[in-house]
Amino acid sequence: MNGEKLKLVGRGVAKVDGAELVTGRAKFAGDLRFPGMLYAAARRAGVAAGKIRSIDGSAASVLPGVRAVLTAGDIPGPNIIGILPPFDQPVLASEEVRYEGESLALVVAESREAARRAAAAVRVDIESWEPILDVDAALAEGCRKIHPQGNVTFSKRLIKGDVEKGFADAEVVVENTYHTSFQEHAYLEPETVVAVPGGDGRVTVYASCQSPFHIRGHIAANLNLPASRVKVIQAYTGGSFGGKDDVATEIGCLAAVAAVKLQAPVMIAHERGESMVGSNLRHAARIHYRTGSRRDGTIVAREAKIYLDGGAYASESPFVTMKALIHAGGPYHVPNVQVECTAVYTNKTYCGAFRGFGVPQVTFASESQIDELAAKLGMDPLELRRKNALRAGQENATGQVFEQSVGLVQTIERVADQAADRRDPVRRADADRSDAAEGRWLYGRGCACLLQGISNGAEGIDVVGASVQASQDGSVLVGVGLTDMGQGSRTVFAQIAAEVLGVTMDRITVRQVDTDSVHDSGPTVASRSTTVGGMAVYKAAGEVRSSLVKMASLMLKCEEKQVLLQDNFAVLASCAPRADNAEVRIALQEVCTAAYWTGFPLMHLAFSRAPDAQFDHETHQGNIYIAYNYGTHLMDVRIDTLTGAVEVLRHLAAHDLGRAINPLGVEGQVEGGALIGFGMAHLERIEHEGGRIQNANFADYAVPSIKDRLPTETIIVEDPNPTGPYGAKGVGEPPVAGTAAAFANAVAAATGIRFTRLPIRREDLLAALQGRNRGTAAESTPWQ
Amino acid sequence: MKFLAGGTDLCVQIAEGALEPTLLIDISAAEELRRIERGAEGLRIGAAVTIAELLETARAAPGKPPAPASVPRCLLQGAAAIGSPQIRHLGTIGGNLCNASPCGDTLAPLIVLAGSFTLRSNRGSRVVAAEEFFLGPKATVLEPGEILQSILIPSTHLQGRSAFRMIGKRNGQAISQVNVAVWLKQEQSADSAGGGAGGTAPIQDIRIAAGSVAPIPLRLGRAERHLRGSVPDPSLLQAAARAVQEEIQPITDVRTSQAYRRSVTASLFLEVMTEVLEKQGG
Amino acid sequence: MLLEFELNGKQTRVEAEPNLRVLDLLRDVLGLTGTKEGCGRGECGACTILLDGKAVNSCLLYAAKLQGRHVTTIEGLSGADEGAGGRGDQGDTPDLHPLQEAFLAEGAVQCGFCTPGMILSAKSLLDRNPDPDVREIEEALSGNLCRCTGYGKIVKAVQRAAERAPGSAKGEPHDER
Repeated sequence: MNGEKLKLVGRGVAKVDGAELVTGRAKFAGDLRFPGMLYAAARRAGVAAGKIRSIDGSAASVLPGVRAVLTAGDIPGPNIIGILPPFDQPVLASEEVRYEGESLALVVAESREAARRAAAAVRVDIESWEPILDVDAALAEGCRKIHPQGNVTFSKRLIKGDVEKGFADAEVVVENTYHTSFQEHAYLEPETVVAVPGGDGRVTVYASCQSPFHIRGHIAANLNLPASRVKVIQAYTGGSFGGKDDVATEIGCLAAVAAVKLQAPVMIAHERGESMVGSNLRHAARIHYRTGSRRDGTIVAREAKIYLDGGAYASESPFVTMKALIHAGGPYHVPNVQVECTAVYTNKTYCGAFRGFGVPQVTFASESQIDELAAKLGMDPLELRRKNALRAGQENATGQVFEQSVGLVQTIERVADQAADRRDPVRRADADRSDAAEGRWLYGRGCACLLQGISNGAEGIDVVGASVQASQDGSVLVGVGLTDMGQGSRTVFAQIAAEVLGVTMDRITVRQVDTDSVHDSGPTVASRSTTVGGMAVYKAAGEVRSSLVKMASLMLKCEEKQVLLQDNFAVLASCAPRADNAEVRIALQEVCTAAYWTGFPLMHLAFSRAPDAQFDHETHQGNIYIAYNYGTHLMDVRIDTLTGAVEVLRHLAAHDLGRAINPLGVEGQVEGGALIGFGMAHLERIEHEGGRIQNANFADYAVPSIKDRLPTETIIVEDPNPTGPYGAKGVGEPPVAGTAAAFANAVAAATGIRFTRLPIRREDLLAALQGRNRGTAAESTPWQ
Repeated sequence: MKFLAGGTDLCVQIAEGALEPTLLIDISAAEELRRIERGAEGLRIGAAVTIAELLETARAAPGKPPAPASVPRCLLQGAAAIGSPQIRHLGTIGGNLCNASPCGDTLAPLIVLAGSFTLRSNRGSRVVAAEEFFLGPKATVLEPGEILQSILIPSTHLQGRSAFRMIGKRNGQAISQVNVAVWLKQEQSADSAGGGAGGTAPIQDIRIAAGSVAPIPLRLGRAERHLRGSVPDPSLLQAAARAVQEEIQPITDVRTSQAYRRSVTASLFLEVMTEVLEKQGG
Repeated sequence: MLLEFELNGKQTRVEAEPNLRVLDLLRDVLGLTGTKEGCGRGECGACTILLDGKAVNSCLLYAAKLQGRHVTTIEGLSGADEGAGGRGDQGDTPDLHPLQEAFLAEGAVQCGFCTPGMILSAKSLLDRNPDPDVREIEEALSGNLCRCTGYGKIVKAVQRAAERAPGSAKGEPHDER
């Protein structure tokens, strides 16, 4: 693996599924058409909390085009979904409304319009309750219980060393409380599924999703069918970022129940408004932080208490809680760390997985505090980070030691080097046009360091199954249980298989994910596709390679170790590269055909299993992640004191990702993730009132447009990870955390004001700057 | 029954179920509504002229030097701030006005340009000043069966200088949280080129209007009085900006807070004034 | 009503309700699903088509307005016959428009959902302004949202197409990096 000259791994190749996407030929779930297909739409509660007295579909059912109105009683199985046990979310609610988007009935009709019109005509009688709107209310004594077990969804601790002792030894202590807001995924494709009943008693569900096996399991359970009777096929998925799995399960179940009942294909396609209200959000967080250090900047203790507002249902809250817990200490070597993280139920849209998964929230808090500590110490912020940065051989916050692939310091150095050419924040030439412009612009530089655990970690078994099949014509089919929703995993899998088998990219097909044909590999999350998925592909391809090499060695009459596979040929290693002699070079097509006729197996299923996390569940000390991605971000901003508008003049994003299998893909992941982090930090805020979202549309929820983009420069640091293919680690999530934290620090540097709430919007900046000028406290807009 | 021009507002309202018209009359192709004509009385713009077509008038024809823009600058800037290219290719100036959203970006410009609107129905036609046209959010003086036929900018207000600014939550495709338009005319001084006089000549006449700071686009008469007849030195401009802040009636809504609107309107006003007072050729 | 208009260079006649959204006419009646629905409110650009060469949101356009006009959808951009069903062999892609090639070469496509609309807005720009600067590219694409790419590579792709850079063959690695 190491040291070989690689032909495809490490090169920026174009996406294998690109042609069908640029031509519009790729079929997303909403593009599928089946004879007799019906459309279904849900009647949602529209109130944040209450007791359901009755649901009356009679008026709706007689509207033109309506075929059925389904309620909870029509679901054959337990009418329960969720990401983690105990599953606490109904598919169709019948007893209680816990958030405004609660689905109460499903109308199935001959057209989308008929379904929606009829859904609006379903009469519901709900006795409204006072909704529980924030963490403090939910935890207050005597508060109504949103779920039978109470309003705490999940609560855990991390304890390393002895923080009390640590703080006693500290010479400098900083303390602060930080808040982040709810963020919406805003993938361009709203959630969509199509369920098609087969004549054979099976049902096939095409879904825009990330975790087809998870969906299959719930659909089967709710249909009272064995899982093997349900097939879930991942359609081309128009972005997900963690946002589709809860809801793909919900509408997958709904569509399947309808399809089986009516014996017709049923499509459910969400509109944007219901997508925002009815699918999970990023947890809003309140984080109280304390950090203690010596005068020389050595951090000796960190303590954090985190509350996550998780909305109405558990979704991924337990895992987000754990991940926030584990990452709260930051990418530093700190002997004493104590973190408590609690996710809480409230009567709002439920929160779950969103690229970053708790790490962006704690990183913003942690890195803001590091800057505050640097200021108190009179130290350069990047120097303080470098001093405390985790290095190989050191214990991280969970007491885990990595001997390799801890490239944080390298990322700090690369960023420092690249930024050093302009010590002061970059200034625009046109900045000062007239006298009036004097003092109008504020410039600031901010940095942030982060770590992000790769793959499932403490969340359970971490296995991916991949199959590689060589055909007689020398072409190769790869099947992996992980999904590509745009992040380019299909392309990476193709590169790895092609590299191992010596096949050119055009001879590789990575098949669509279909639960019949690939191995359950868990969810495609946590930046695990390249690392764990890629490793499975690498192994499976390796098995097939060995069959081909054996066959080729017989044909070339040489030893196996003399056979090279490259460019669709099996070549005798000692010979000149372009020699065309049949004795030294045979087309792989011939080798494959011969291998088939000789009886060498041409298809293998291999597993990559990450070592199980082994840790103490009370203290979260132990070996949790197979690897961490480390990063350093630097951002230069210019703030217009007249309007609060921020321009990002520079953004450096360096990550140790082990090995870049596809550098072009890496840049895409970094640039895309960075902009999501920027949205979280500056532009995006879900506005709730009385538990109801007020800006469930793209006009009032400000997803960045092209004119808001960042000048992100991706810096790739490669400190190979022994558990990943070719040393790779994932990079999908880290840029989100790094960008948000760096932005907050840049704004603080520019204004001299520490904003402890995200997003820091134009209006927040203007209010704070003017408040300071007037000598009054900055007016802050209400959090929720 | 509803009249349909570009549909960029109407279709959204229909999609949301806010409107369920039984009849739509598409007037977008009516020739008389699509002309832009310069005459003795001024510049007449047909209501069905698209935002993009309006902007197109300011673009040079290939191979030729840029023609002097006859559409005043504040209206062009307002038009350019609308939505996105897709919205501008379909949306019309008449639609933007008749939709009468307080944040509409052609509203304040037409008020400061002393625009007047010709309204037409089968009962005849009438002319209404831009300032009188708007009654409240999404409400105008249009009677049932009446359409906006054309907009006239009088010759008097094709002279002078004007500018417009808006701000939204983000840089692209942003709905105005606030917008400001100013038209003014300064006394000619010896060293000026036609039309403008730079920072030191007294302001002969000035009109200021702001959008999204009240239920209708608001003419800011009191702020105007600070400046009319005076030399616009920096301290006077600051005083006028404060007057603007006091005169507007912003609220807090899903788009932004009252406090932000109050502050940023003043900032935008100052930016607009900087632009209109810039020396010619500078 | 009977609609007659030019679609991707071919005269087309189709029966449709006058207030059927053009987005639905394309996707449901004509089977051209390359144009996508992202918001239905004209706020995201996923439904962008070209009407007489200009980018518009097809979710805000009623079918009656197509009478006698020229419509271009993403399917009209590549050289292969629409409805030909493709040639099956993965290596044989239809002739791609320079924008399509550029988007692929620059890595400007991730999930691909915004891509058809994005490409058409870019085409609308390049057809009238073959040498746009970055500001003009941003302005032209300001009505097309993308959540995956961060837009940087999209801008590069449009610049590349404007320079008429030869597209690299599918799957070949770039040595530029």
